[in-house]
Amino acid sequence: MPDIAILGLGNVLIGDDAFGPHVVRRFDAEYEVDPQVEVLDFGTPGFDLAPFLMDAQRVIIVDTVKAEAAPGTICHYDKADILRRPLTRARVNPHDPGLKDTLLLLDLQGAAPAEVHFIGVVPASVKTGIAISDAVRAAVPGAIAAVVESLARMGHPPRRRAVPADPGLWWERTAVVSAEC
Amino acid sequence: MAKRITVDPVTRIEGHLRIDVEVDGGRVRNSWSSGQMWRGIEVILQGKDPRDAWLFTQRICGVCTTVHAIASVRAVEHALRLEIPVNAQYIRNLILIAHSLHDHIVHFYHLSALDWVDITGALQADPKAAARLAETLSPWHRNSWQELQQVKQRLQGVVDSGQLGIFNNGYWGHPAMKLPPEVNLLAVSHYLQALEYQRKANMIVAMLGGKTPNIQNLAVGGVANAVNLDNQSALNMEKIFKINSLFREVEQFVNQVYLPDVIAIGALYPDWLGYGAGVTNYMAVPDLPLDAAATRFDLPGGTIMGGRLETQRSIEVWDDPYFRENVTESVAHAWYEGDWTRHPYEEETVPHYTDFQDRGKYTWIKAPRFDGKPMQVGPLAQVLVGYAQGHEPIRRWTDQSLATASSIAGTRVGLNHLHSTLGRHLARGIRAAVLAESANKHWQMLADNIGSGDFEVYNEPEFPRGEIRGYGVHEAPRGVLSHWAVIKNGKIDNYQCVVPSTWNAGPRDLQGQLGPYEASLVGNPVADAELPLEVLRTVHSFDPCIACAIHTQDVEGEEIATVRTLAAKNI
Repeated sequence: MPDIAILGLGNVLIGDDAFGPHVVRRFDAEYEVDPQVEVLDFGTPGFDLAPFLMDAQRVIIVDTVKAEAAPGTICHYDKADILRRPLTRARVNPHDPGLKDTLLLLDLQGAAPAEVHFIGVVPASVKTGIAISDAVRAAVPGAIAAVVESLARMGHPPRRRAVPADPGLWWERTAVVSAEC
Repeated sequence: MAKRITVDPVTRIEGHLRIDVEVDGGRVRNSWSSGQMWRGIEVILQGKDPRDAWLFTQRICGVCTTVHAIASVRAVEHALRLEIPVNAQYIRNLILIAHSLHDHIVHFYHLSALDWVDITGALQADPKAAARLAETLSPWHRNSWQELQQVKQRLQGVVDSGQLGIFNNGYWGHPAMKLPPEVNLLAVSHYLQALEYQRKANMIVAMLGGKTPNIQNLAVGGVANAVNLDNQSALNMEKIFKINSLFREVEQFVNQVYLPDVIAIGALYPDWLGYGAGVTNYMAVPDLPLDAAATRFDLPGGTIMGGRLETQRSIEVWDDPYFRENVTESVAHAWYEGDWTRHPYEEETVPHYTDFQDRGKYTWIKAPRFDGKPMQVGPLAQVLVGYAQGHEPIRRWTDQSLATASSIAGTRVGLNHLHSTLGRHLARGIRAAVLAESANKHWQMLADNIGSGDFEVYNEPEFPRGEIRGYGVHEAPRGVLSHWAVIKNGKIDNYQCVVPSTWNAGPRDLQGQLGPYEASLVGNPVADAELPLEVLRTVHSFDPCIACAIHTQDVEGEEIATVRTLAAKNI
């Protein structure tokens, strides 16, 4: 059972909403983590976050966030911020029920993670289609650095791989066609 | 005077759904169901490698990932006429069963129970009386008065702290809430326990699928699970037995908690076994194949017209022309160019947004039709089709559930009551019991086949030049799902997903026939136009999940439900 879960949230088919999956896959390709740490490209699970949040004591979430700031700006929130903010303000997830609801429910059950570090980027475009905007792509290294720093603070600093692995960003690849045309 | 009520968005569902109703004399007289997000997956998939299509389609929705992955690989396999090894069928089946069980449990407790259960009511309950009542309903070992007392204390703590959170959108104290305090307390206790059991079902999906959401073990041609009984990282005997024990725990929860709770709520809200029928044409597709070639199935498929079981006509196999030739979609009232009605292979996806027009276009969801008729899909359709066919487990669980409901209600609850808002919930519980039972069988078949030394899981696909077409169907938790693919020279040329929530949440067609959500709301009571709990009850009973019927582009979307009440203008 992992002590720390790193979750990339967002929909890879919706422009900048791919940020979370993109960052955690890049992080996973560039760094090795302790066995107590789990890294997951999670998509847009809505309420299905619950079983994963139940498992982890501490959670690092990477996602897009609605905030009054320029596209590409990275904003940090902790658990209290997420619980305090009214649902209309922190767009933590476009789905309902979202992260806040899930945390509150798990609190009632006594199974919520003790610590949440939410790393959010302000998107430029969230239209259907596979394309991360330049502003948001430029924020990827900063978000990876924030994940690294957060893990170090939690006592599990990741180690840079000698040779980075393939991040497996399958949604960005073009068709490799097997039939002759 | 007639009033127009707009609920936008409907809460506790995936995606952005808007419901409009006109209420006159305390009853809904007319209604519109509108998907407020565009999907666009069809456009994204053009030109992609068909072997990758399932990776994309499982991202359509963050909750129903597994079902779109399965339908997609089946569609491409069908286009290639490619059979998969029997191990691959069983592994897929176990994933599908576990996913469905997870989904049904979450839907009932976490997404719709608050429509029926008054949280504040639970605070008035006597835990000892609740435990005594529970004993009469179920042998479940976690209904002790001590456990119920604890739940009550925790709930009191939440209410005292003012952090109502997850319960915020519940209609506490609404006059339509009728459960006794003790039943409310039991339901809240099970609401919390359900978290643990949906997690166990989820663990099965993760063990077989590599992870969840977004399973990784599928491939066009089978599955990518390495089967090696002696290897720790492969699918070995230890994992196979762990999967079985998880299924048994979930089965016990379904049989002793979930199904009894749905039956009790059905019996305690007898009026709601009368409202909400709507479209009583039903359709289900066969699923859980028992052989490599998928000629025999555990779950029945077929259609029923006009609510009459004697009209049942079977859909025998996935490739049954009765299914293939009768599916169309209409865009007459949806935000796409034109007003055509076409077969999925022949469709195009050209958006044309017009704003909400009562008599014109008002939704991103197309209107699927079967032989020109609107159809209701979902567990109720499957239970009725199975009942009509004499499907033994469906008959047994249905008869037993109706008998129990009758004894609690003190009046006869029959098959005819299933055509209703609470009938849909009850059918979902029945389907869960049938699925949990079938998990035993599919687990045993997999264990036996692997035990006999057959480790095959994959047949490699080969794509021919020229055009091929295929479709994949799956009886998903919300009903009939089909993916239709046209492949040209090994690339996707056209791809259409006709999803359960399109069948149910779709709009009027060219002939003006209402979709199932719309039709089911007409005639519903609405006691208080400002708090249209009754509208939510009926819509939630379909288990709406709109993220795939259409897709989010609306990150800025409001997340708190707004209810707008207007004097209707055009009545």
